Amino acid sequence: MRACDWGFGPSEGGGGLDPSACSRMGLVQWRRSPLLVPQAGRGLLPHRQIQVTYKWLSYTLGVHVNQAKQMLYDYVERKRKENSGAQLHVTYLVSGSLIQNGHSCHKVAVVREDKLEAVKSKLAVTASVHVYSIQKAMLKDSGPLFNTDYDILKSNLQNCSKFSAIQCAAAVPRAPAESSSSEKLEQSDPPVSPEMQASDELTTNGHGPPVPKQSSQQPKGIMGMFASKAASKAQDANKETKTEAKEVMNASSVGPKAPGKGNVISNFFGKAAMNKLKVNLDSEQEVKEEKKVEQPPLSVTEPKLAAPVDLKKSSKKAEPVRMQQKEKKRRKQMELSDDETKETENMKKKRRRIKLPESDSSEDEVIPDSPGAYEAESPSPPPPSPSPEPVLKTEPEPPPVKGSDGENKRKRKRVLKSKTFTDEEGCMVTEKVYESESCTDSEEELKMKTSSVHRPPAMAVKKEPKEERKGPKKGTAAMGKANRQVAITGFFQRK
Amino acid sequence: MVERSVIGGMPLWAGQGARIGGRWRPAGGGAVACGEVSRVLLPWTSWRWGGLALLVSTRGGGLSGISRGKSEQGLCCTPKTAPGDHLLLGLDTSSRAMFSEQAAQRAHTLLSPPSASNATFARVPVVTYTNSSQPFRLGERSFSRQYAHIYATRLIQMRPFLVSRAQQRWGSGVLVKKLCELQPGEKCCVVGTLFKAMPLQPSILREVSEEHNLLPQPPRSKYIHPDDELILEDELQRIKLEGTIDVSKLVTGTVLAVLGSAGDDGKFLVEDHCFAGLAPQKPACPLDTDRFVLLVSGLGLGGGGGESLLGTQLLVDVVTGQLGDEGEQCSAAHVSRVILAGNLLSHNTQSRDSINKAKYLTKKTQAASVEAVKMLDEILLQLSASVPVDVMPGEFDPTNYTLPQQPLHPCMFPLATAYSTLQLVTNPYQATIDGVRFLGTSGQNVSDIFRYSSMEDHLEILEWTLQVRHISPTAPDTLGCYPFYKTDPFIFPECPHVYFCGNTPSFGSKIIQGPEDQTVLLVAVPDFSTTQTACLVNLRSLACQPISFSGFGAEDEDLGGLGLGP
Repeated sequence: MRACDWGFGPSEGGGGLDPSACSRMGLVQWRRSPLLVPQAGRGLLPHRQIQVTYKWLSYTLGVHVNQAKQMLYDYVERKRKENSGAQLHVTYLVSGSLIQNGHSCHKVAVVREDKLEAVKSKLAVTASVHVYSIQKAMLKDSGPLFNTDYDILKSNLQNCSKFSAIQCAAAVPRAPAESSSSEKLEQSDPPVSPEMQASDELTTNGHGPPVPKQSSQQPKGIMGMFASKAASKAQDANKETKTEAKEVMNASSVGPKAPGKGNVISNFFGKAAMNKLKVNLDSEQEVKEEKKVEQPPLSVTEPKLAAPVDLKKSSKKAEPVRMQQKEKKRRKQMELSDDETKETENMKKKRRRIKLPESDSSEDEVIPDSPGAYEAESPSPPPPSPSPEPVLKTEPEPPPVKGSDGENKRKRKRVLKSKTFTDEEGCMVTEKVYESESCTDSEEELKMKTSSVHRPPAMAVKKEPKEERKGPKKGTAAMGKANRQVAITGFFQRK
Repeated sequence: MVERSVIGGMPLWAGQGARIGGRWRPAGGGAVACGEVSRVLLPWTSWRWGGLALLVSTRGGGLSGISRGKSEQGLCCTPKTAPGDHLLLGLDTSSRAMFSEQAAQRAHTLLSPPSASNATFARVPVVTYTNSSQPFRLGERSFSRQYAHIYATRLIQMRPFLVSRAQQRWGSGVLVKKLCELQPGEKCCVVGTLFKAMPLQPSILREVSEEHNLLPQPPRSKYIHPDDELILEDELQRIKLEGTIDVSKLVTGTVLAVLGSAGDDGKFLVEDHCFAGLAPQKPACPLDTDRFVLLVSGLGLGGGGGESLLGTQLLVDVVTGQLGDEGEQCSAAHVSRVILAGNLLSHNTQSRDSINKAKYLTKKTQAASVEAVKMLDEILLQLSASVPVDVMPGEFDPTNYTLPQQPLHPCMFPLATAYSTLQLVTNPYQATIDGVRFLGTSGQNVSDIFRYSSMEDHLEILEWTLQVRHISPTAPDTLGCYPFYKTDPFIFPECPHVYFCGNTPSFGSKIIQGPEDQTVLLVAVPDFSTTQTACLVNLRSLACQPISFSGFGAEDEDLGGLGLGP
């Protein structure tokens, strides 16, 4: 899909673009972009699937859509004049009114060049004609055109109307606070939302309640990053919530991995505290990575996550954004991230392997020990999953310490509960032992939440929004998520 | 909204394809007015239609003069009329009022070398907008009530309309009686709710009853049968209807007035019947510029058809000002609102696997709607970044099924909800947009009537619901509906200016005139995933134009697939 590999660049002999356009976007950028660097067999498409739509060009070069259309037209004209573009296939967009069944219908059609005149002649009034796309191969149908547009659009979703010819003054992003609170439209809850947002930001870091402490220590690292992000655009807040949501999902689906991850993150700070920002990025990336591995269907959402990173990169290094090659991009990202990341990743994997038996033993033997073990590993209390954290944050009263305490308490409780419950229902369980255990456990907890009052608000609040979040996602995922801790240990207990 | 002028006391609405009076209508689908000419008040200069104006004056049935000309140059035709003449005015407004002609006004600029500056147009600002869908919002949701209340309250609310309509129709002396007061052989009028006994109507009780041991009936497109019977019910009693009444056309739940007499056999012999008719209408305030509202329904995401995705994207691109020449983009900037009328997701996303299969088998599978909702989020993001969008849920969308469908939850659209221009609304949706009252549904009401009535055309059914003054008469019977008990929100309190229903098999639009000077544009918004067609409504003239999109496929060598074939 690298359109300009086939000589769309300005330095192409005679077939270049308008110099004004070049100067506008800066020649340096043109030269550096591999898209635009003229290649050896210029004018020839490297492979047959290549096509350039006006929209693709507009986003890629950052020019007005109409200018992109003119560029394409100009390119075709010059190529045709040179006779070297004889095998270029052009599709046009035609629109106009058409009398159909007695009423005039506004028709918008993408047509091949050979059909252009025929279609135009059918229209009573022709409103617009412009080049829609250029491709090397004869298109059998218009499906590929959509795909090209879709990929480039996905990477530019946040400023999708930036280059369009219509600007809407009313279409302003909601205030970040407003947008982050998912309830927004009618039943938005203003007092909660700013805090929600804050928590969202924090969770993106991959570590939870301790963060206030850490951020005060490292105001430049984490908070600085987010501050700048927030300043750059409110969309980022949105993106962040997205990330967060994904992380939640990730945590839920990955299940057994989550505790390990929490530890790894704390390890990051122990070992590679020098470069917090980077670690943050990396951990995010890891999350992505994990998700990719675990849940293939989710991968489609990835570009959204990756897009900002990519954009930043492209602005810095003038690298083109090519969304369709997600695999490649990821590889590239991995390469870019330093070895440390890989190391830590390895560490993490190892750690996980080690850790699971550990937790297992702790639960087998001394129950009160298990929270202690966690705390020993990470002085800053790491909650096992990021999901409960936003909720913790929404409640201002309990200080983080108390929250973490509650967490530990809950863990202990959970273990005890599960024991009694397996006694009752153990025979019902046939295959997926740990799943049903976790299920019953969560039920138990819910019951406890409603009936018993001695483990009050922290837990209740924690539980509820979790449920809410799960709601729109998936029932099954929710099951697995309820408490993965017990699930794993249950699994190992069977052994 | 609409230019109005008065010819002999008759109002003239410019740009509508309907006949207000007279015997003549222009081929181009303009407006025709007829009236006795006592004074002619034609504000020609304020009419900026580019179309042809025709003035025909008739005297005593014969033609006495024809004037025609372009209204663009002001008054260019002077009808030779005298008091007593009938003046017919035809305005061939099919041209300028429409989107495509406006789009074609500017010179084509895009088949040229890149220019230094490209025009950018500003979206028309929202002048006035009121969401009047409050009656369709459910506050407390109690499902423990019986549906009898909704019929009772419907009859109570509708009775005054019907009594006055019956008196209008059959004279003020007509005897209006309740069923319990009927005397055999006495001619009178009875107001009641229809019940149509239908042997083919699917009944869950019949299906599960073991005595019959019936196989579940295959779904049909229509459930009407010659053996159908009409029964009229009021608060206390019911009586079988016979006589001159079209059994197959009417449906259960309709409140109507019948004129006739009870026979000795306990049946009511109907001579005539009438409905509540159009509700009163508030006049629309005139607009001085053309503005469009785009109605789209049935995007059907997740249906698997890749071809329709290009169409959807083209639609988005036209509205957001990506596609087309400057003229088209300028016109598109006058699209002041987009209403998505339901079925944003395809029927295919509603897989029943999760219900039928064991949980552990479906644990890892993702609901089909997840991907579709993500795609919808992206589409909504593109739209709402450029234009106000109202999203109504439909039959296949993830919200409640029963009829006032509540707005889709904003959690599903994390990207698009960032913009305040996105509005998630209820399924019967009612709003006043720049002074024009819109009311519409995602089409369940009409398609349900289609199944239980002999009416074939969705537009005809839409008009019929306007005549019976009830959006969805079949609602608690064959269509899921919340058990209302205090009021029936589906009764028209006032007549809208634009009344639409989504997800119809084909496009249709029509302007109808009510007896009390109501003018209603009816629009059957076609299912986009199958027809690739949406509708543009001009708020100024109430003209409606379909807008359709197409790519090209391997098969349509002869342009047949483009819809351009002969």
